[in-house]
Amino acid sequence: MSNYDSIDHVIGASLFLDDLPEPVNCLHAAICPSPVAHGKLKKINIDKALGIKGVITILTADSIPGENQIGTIIQDEPLLADKEVDFIGQPVALVVAGTARQADKAVKLIELEIEELPPVFDPRQAAANGDFIAPSRTLALGDIDKAWEKCATVVEGRTETGGQEHLYLEPQGSMAMPDERGGIMLYSSTQSPTAVQRVTSRVLGIAMHLVQVEVKRLGGGFGGKEDQATVYAVLAALAALHTSTSTKLILNRQQDMQYTGKRHPYSSDFKIGLDENGKILAYEVTYFQNAGAAADLSTAVLERSLYHATNAYYIPNVRITGHCCKTNNVPNTAFRGFGAPQALFVIESAIAKAAGMMKLPAWRIQEKNLLKEYDTFPYGARARQCHAKRAFSEILHSQKWEVTQKDIFNFNKNNSLIKKGAALMPICFGISFTTGFLNQAGALIHIYSDGSISVSTGAVEMGQGVNTKIIAIVAHTLGVNTDIITVQPTATRTVANTSPTAASAAADLNGMAAKLAADTLRLRLMDTAASRLGEHVSGISINNGKILLKGQPTELDWHALISDAYLSRINLSAQAHYATPDIYFDKNIEKGQPFAYYVYGTASIQVSVDILRGIVTIDAVNILHDAGRSLNQDIDRGQALGAIMQGIGWLTMEELVYNKEGRLLTDSLTTYKVPDIHSMPSEFNVSFMEDTDNPHAVLQSKGIGEPPFLYGTAAYFAIMNALIAARPDKPMFFNAPLTHEKILHFLTCE
Amino acid sequence: MKTIINGVKISLRAEWFDKDLLDFLREDLDLTGAKRGCGIGVCGTCVILINELPVQACKKTVADIVDMTVLTIEGMSNKDDPLHPLQQAFIDAGAIQCGFCTPGMVLTAHAFLLKNNCPSREEIRKAIKGNLCRCTGYQQIVDAIEEAARHYRK
Repeated sequence: MSNYDSIDHVIGASLFLDDLPEPVNCLHAAICPSPVAHGKLKKINIDKALGIKGVITILTADSIPGENQIGTIIQDEPLLADKEVDFIGQPVALVVAGTARQADKAVKLIELEIEELPPVFDPRQAAANGDFIAPSRTLALGDIDKAWEKCATVVEGRTETGGQEHLYLEPQGSMAMPDERGGIMLYSSTQSPTAVQRVTSRVLGIAMHLVQVEVKRLGGGFGGKEDQATVYAVLAALAALHTSTSTKLILNRQQDMQYTGKRHPYSSDFKIGLDENGKILAYEVTYFQNAGAAADLSTAVLERSLYHATNAYYIPNVRITGHCCKTNNVPNTAFRGFGAPQALFVIESAIAKAAGMMKLPAWRIQEKNLLKEYDTFPYGARARQCHAKRAFSEILHSQKWEVTQKDIFNFNKNNSLIKKGAALMPICFGISFTTGFLNQAGALIHIYSDGSISVSTGAVEMGQGVNTKIIAIVAHTLGVNTDIITVQPTATRTVANTSPTAASAAADLNGMAAKLAADTLRLRLMDTAASRLGEHVSGISINNGKILLKGQPTELDWHALISDAYLSRINLSAQAHYATPDIYFDKNIEKGQPFAYYVYGTASIQVSVDILRGIVTIDAVNILHDAGRSLNQDIDRGQALGAIMQGIGWLTMEELVYNKEGRLLTDSLTTYKVPDIHSMPSEFNVSFMEDTDNPHAVLQSKGIGEPPFLYGTAAYFAIMNALIAARPDKPMFFNAPLTHEKILHFLTCE
Repeated sequence: MKTIINGVKISLRAEWFDKDLLDFLREDLDLTGAKRGCGIGVCGTCVILINELPVQACKKTVADIVDMTVLTIEGMSNKDDPLHPLQQAFIDAGAIQCGFCTPGMVLTAHAFLLKNNCPSREEIRKAIKGNLCRCTGYQQIVDAIEEAARHYRK
């Protein structure tokens, strides 16, 4: 089954937020952003702006009836700046006007009086100043201080990974309509309808049941609409409340790039110790996370970095420290991988550097240290259904890795203008929100009297195919065809208290809730069929829309059964709730089992580098991935391919450049480069392990959204290997993204 | 003054000429298949065809379509055949995820295949270099266009 939305997408009929019909007289809002990264907000002069034709009102912090607070994990972020501005692009005022053009024009006439304060953009500087979002955390295993003396090789180093712009193609936006009883109806391009509802309720000072949020679909999210969509929804709601008129707020691309948080940049220190055979005995790492000016999701992102510090390896002695550093950048946020990619880059850099010292290929060290069943992670959980070694060895075999390495060596010996490089990347990614209470979901299923089925869950469709998977789960459970099932827009009035569509867990959680609701309905319907047929329920089954008795067809089909059930006054609606069992964490001792299960796999990436021009060609990407019993291989393959490209983009070309005042210079698609069609590898294969079960998720499946992003890391090290082949006199460096500019600099400078 | 959009003749008024063509299509004609992705003509989500040539509607004004024939995604298929073979190929190849780039991608590919119905994969890549997709990794899109090409040879 192809993606449920595909037909509407391909004929242009699917509606995104900005495509929804606007209510009559709909107003348009525009944000007045802070022009400086840090300062005292002395005065906002709106007199000239109010004079612009069409301007209805201009809202500031004083206009907020409830709390001026949008922070979720930590309440440290005002909706509209009050007394202080902490980053460039921070909303200071909101202009509401008849048209978007009028609002934009008025924004330019707002005069801000700001007494500038010195900004901080470097997380290490913030740490030195003691500016943290939250207390630092340390995880430890074994006795690292004693372990160093047992090591034959000890290597230290420093790594940098840059931020990353989500660049969902549909910019942020929302539309708010005043509702009866002082309520608000909100359409938002958000991954977190409940977060939008909760924060709107807090800011407007009205109860959550007066705020309705509905999401049809997103034009991409990637984490960028998990927390960051909230501010635009709440601003639109505030405007609708003040004007008693529907108000729309859509960011243009440049505003979106300037105002919204990105993947967290990390600056990290590592120290790794190995025995003479390449067995890693000790690993110590410290992450300086650039959280930006407010918490957003930073502490949770850092938590996942801590848990993924050792990637797919067992290391007996570990100390992992994470600092959540407060700077004057835009508050950084969720982005596919959620801190794991940053951590992975550090351990892989440590291995690459150690390999160089030991004159061993890095893949030998990777291979020797892979997790096996029941190995302990630094936070105390154990690897289960562990396929790390299997994936790695199957890739070694299928890619004829040792032969390939020799071929590359010989090629590089005979060619001076092109150098080739290759790298392997094993991965291990834990599935579940590390914030335990978020691991719950609800579903509501109605069967109408004609037999057609409506499913509502808390999952937001953003191209990842979650609705298609939920339809398949409900169809499978009820024994009907998929074509009589519709998934409704995600709405807080149908399914309440939803978790964000995030953490690669939307299909796991919402799919399981939908399955539980469908199970309830199936049992009721089997009872109905049994009494209609005068048989015991144990002989009844439903398959392919047919009602079977002991496996044989009966007079009843699905439509007749539903009609019968309705006339017999059977409840044809069911609601269910699912909470992931057996996950816990004790922050006092930093031990627990935060994940329901792990996803494993291995990537092999081969590249060619044009030594004169510095141009990289990704020749081949081959992946063996553990998707459990995939709910839909086409969708899972699509997720994997797209995630890998994003991972390659992050580490090789996507570069956020700021001036010294902290203004983002790469704020348009002409200056911020994401993978385009030329970045597509000529050989690009994702295979799935065919026989891996997963008892910890719905129908033995596994989450797919984030783990494959990690495979892109191999591109960095493959390119680095090619560069070292060209310049064996120079040391490797670990400063991503490895842009064209850095490559040329490395190749040409002494 | 007139234009033909998706086979329908539309009279144009001179006072509309300065209007952004993408706004005109989306707001005045309710043809929301063309999306506003970047507003500066580099992402490809607003691609439409003017006299069978792909153009970024966000970089044009209404004046640019006077006496022209315009095709938007809404006009790709017809009532008898709800999906054009190219559209079907996009679905079959899994070339669609969030769908935001899809209308522009399909129309760019359509214009290309009308001119070259036997393309190499390299030629397909060149043809869609102005269309960004953040979801798929592109491979499935190239597959879809390659598969659809045979229908243009008929």
